Amino acid sequence: MDIRLSLVQKLHSILAKAGRGGSLPGELALRLDPKFLEKFKLPQDVVLVTGTNGKTTTSNLVAEALRANGLTVLNNHRGDNLNVGIATTLAAGSDPEYNITAQALVLEVDELTLYRQFRTLKPTALVVTNFFRDQLDRAGEMETIIRKLIEVTEDFEGHLILNGDDPNVIRLADTAKKAKVHFFSVRETIKSVNISDEAGEGKFCPRCGRPLAYDYYQYSHIGRFRCSFDHFGEIRPDLTVTSVDFDHGTFQAAGKTYHSFVNSIYGVYNCAAVLCLVRAMGLKMEPCDEVFSNYELKEGRDEVFELSRPCTINLVKNPTGANEVMKYIIAQPGEKNICIFLNDNDQDGHDVSWIWDAHFERLNDPLVKTIVCSGLRAYDMALRLKYEGLEDRIRVIESAQEAIAWLDEANLESHVISTYTALHSTRAVLAKRVKRGRRKWM
Amino acid sequence: MDVKILWMYHDLMDLYGDKGNIQVLKTRCEKRGIDVQVDTCGIGEKQNIDSYDIFFLGGGADREQNLIFEDLLSRRDAIEQAMKSGTAFLLICGGYQMFGKYYRDQDGKTVNGLSFFDYYTEAKDRDHRCIGNIAIDVEMDGERFPAVGFENHGGQTRNVSTPLGRVIKGHGNEFQGQFEGFLNDQVAATYMHGPLLPKNPMIADLILKRGLKRRFGDVALEPLDDVLETQARTIMLKRIGAEAPAANASSEN
Repeated sequence: MDIRLSLVQKLHSILAKAGRGGSLPGELALRLDPKFLEKFKLPQDVVLVTGTNGKTTTSNLVAEALRANGLTVLNNHRGDNLNVGIATTLAAGSDPEYNITAQALVLEVDELTLYRQFRTLKPTALVVTNFFRDQLDRAGEMETIIRKLIEVTEDFEGHLILNGDDPNVIRLADTAKKAKVHFFSVRETIKSVNISDEAGEGKFCPRCGRPLAYDYYQYSHIGRFRCSFDHFGEIRPDLTVTSVDFDHGTFQAAGKTYHSFVNSIYGVYNCAAVLCLVRAMGLKMEPCDEVFSNYELKEGRDEVFELSRPCTINLVKNPTGANEVMKYIIAQPGEKNICIFLNDNDQDGHDVSWIWDAHFERLNDPLVKTIVCSGLRAYDMALRLKYEGLEDRIRVIESAQEAIAWLDEANLESHVISTYTALHSTRAVLAKRVKRGRRKWM
Repeated sequence: MDVKILWMYHDLMDLYGDKGNIQVLKTRCEKRGIDVQVDTCGIGEKQNIDSYDIFFLGGGADREQNLIFEDLLSRRDAIEQAMKSGTAFLLICGGYQMFGKYYRDQDGKTVNGLSFFDYYTEAKDRDHRCIGNIAIDVEMDGERFPAVGFENHGGQTRNVSTPLGRVIKGHGNEFQGQFEGFLNDQVAATYMHGPLLPKNPMIADLILKRGLKRRFGDVALEPLDDVLETQARTIMLKRIGAEAPAANASSEN
């Protein structure tokens, strides 16, 4: 046994009891031993999930789906997807001899971390959800990320589970010659559209540079596309979702009806990825229905706090996520206030220019009464909204406490949009106000 | 009074929110009652470049730059014609690089530029990428003021005779360099994203004045309410420890 491992494990169990955890034990581990991750004897099945959006949800659904198939699973369910978080997860699931005791390991892995740790983690399956513009200054241009992923998957021999409706993702199939490639796809739905102003990263064929033709878009550049010159995009999906019913939150796959955990197209894509993987691994798909319908979204994903009127909080990290959240907010009936927390710490990305790539003009709706701008870059957010003609409805309140207090006192339904590093503190402020409110009424 | 803006390769050269610059130019005209027309021009599309008052070209990743460079080079005469006719140019990042002699990427592959100016760009390795918030001390058309932005470029641009400004914090044209961008009477070129113009409305107005000059001569622009702009810029200057060295730093208030 290794004293370093047991130290890290002790630290983890102490922190876990205090309701904490995350990166600290892993940080210690990697400081004590830079080759810490390489020490572990990994289980037979190692599933990695990467992509820009939907990593946490998809990997948690995968873990549950494997459990529903009778496997014991270790996973980083809280979304700690960098080196340190992965080190924490592995330490927590290991015996004193660096053996992972679970039968399967499921990890969501940040795109750049995946590049660095791919050979160490020796995945048997890799799920790629999508590629959008993200926190650019940290991750580099999306093209750089894709190229790195192409590099590590060139000699990958496991299952490569790809979103067949994302031109940036299916590119991997061109170069991953040794992998067992499986595509998942979602057929046209009632919400699909023929033209889109969102498809920034899916306009051109990655093979020849000519414009891609789209039959329809689901959201952003996700949809059915092809290049008429070199037939890029003409894939044969291994798992096709059909009959998406947004009224009932159901969809069909392989002749069976499934119930989605969230009534949105991106939720359906998360489920499609899981089903495709489960089938590729030779496991049963049927138990997934229960997994999907029982799944609870994580903190900050459509989470409701009962202020004077309900307040829904959503995490956003990039233009695509922001666009989808704004569509959802505008679709809600009744007048509402909105509060946007924009931070630019390391995990948010220092560059906030992505707000100019997102369609904030969607908030220019008569039912949106006031938009509170908060966080470290509150004024950048306010400026962005000013250029969408929302000048008269902007209110800058830099402090989170005061911003949430304002929302509460405004006595109107509200929606909070928060970047990553503001999420935790904002949720804490919201939770505190909920308690205070209840006490008052009792 | 009206102004005509040409937005080159809007669908390819649009990185880090560069499209926000167009929105700023447009809105600042509209608020002053100046009619504004924004046209786009993609690969292979016909546009009379020299009929525009302002020419805007944003940044793109290497792949996008490779897609447009032939088309851009084929328009060299038309662009030269526009320069002669007095068009004002705003070029960001990749757009900036392509007006110089050449761009050499990390693998040594060289793409010829339009060669209007003597500067050239060579990409450095990943470790020397210039990333982060940047503040510069701009001297443009007789005015001096601090400007802020976000830079994110591997290319190192050298042999710039007349830069846009002196670096206060950040890198600028080269890794840990002293100067940022390129400026002459008609062309303003920079690595600054952010996007550039929302937080630096002084630059936006100077570009507009240059554009209007082509057909209307020297024009005085009505001042606008820039309280949010000034706040956003001041907060960033403070944050990165680059508070205004210039005397007339906040003259637009």
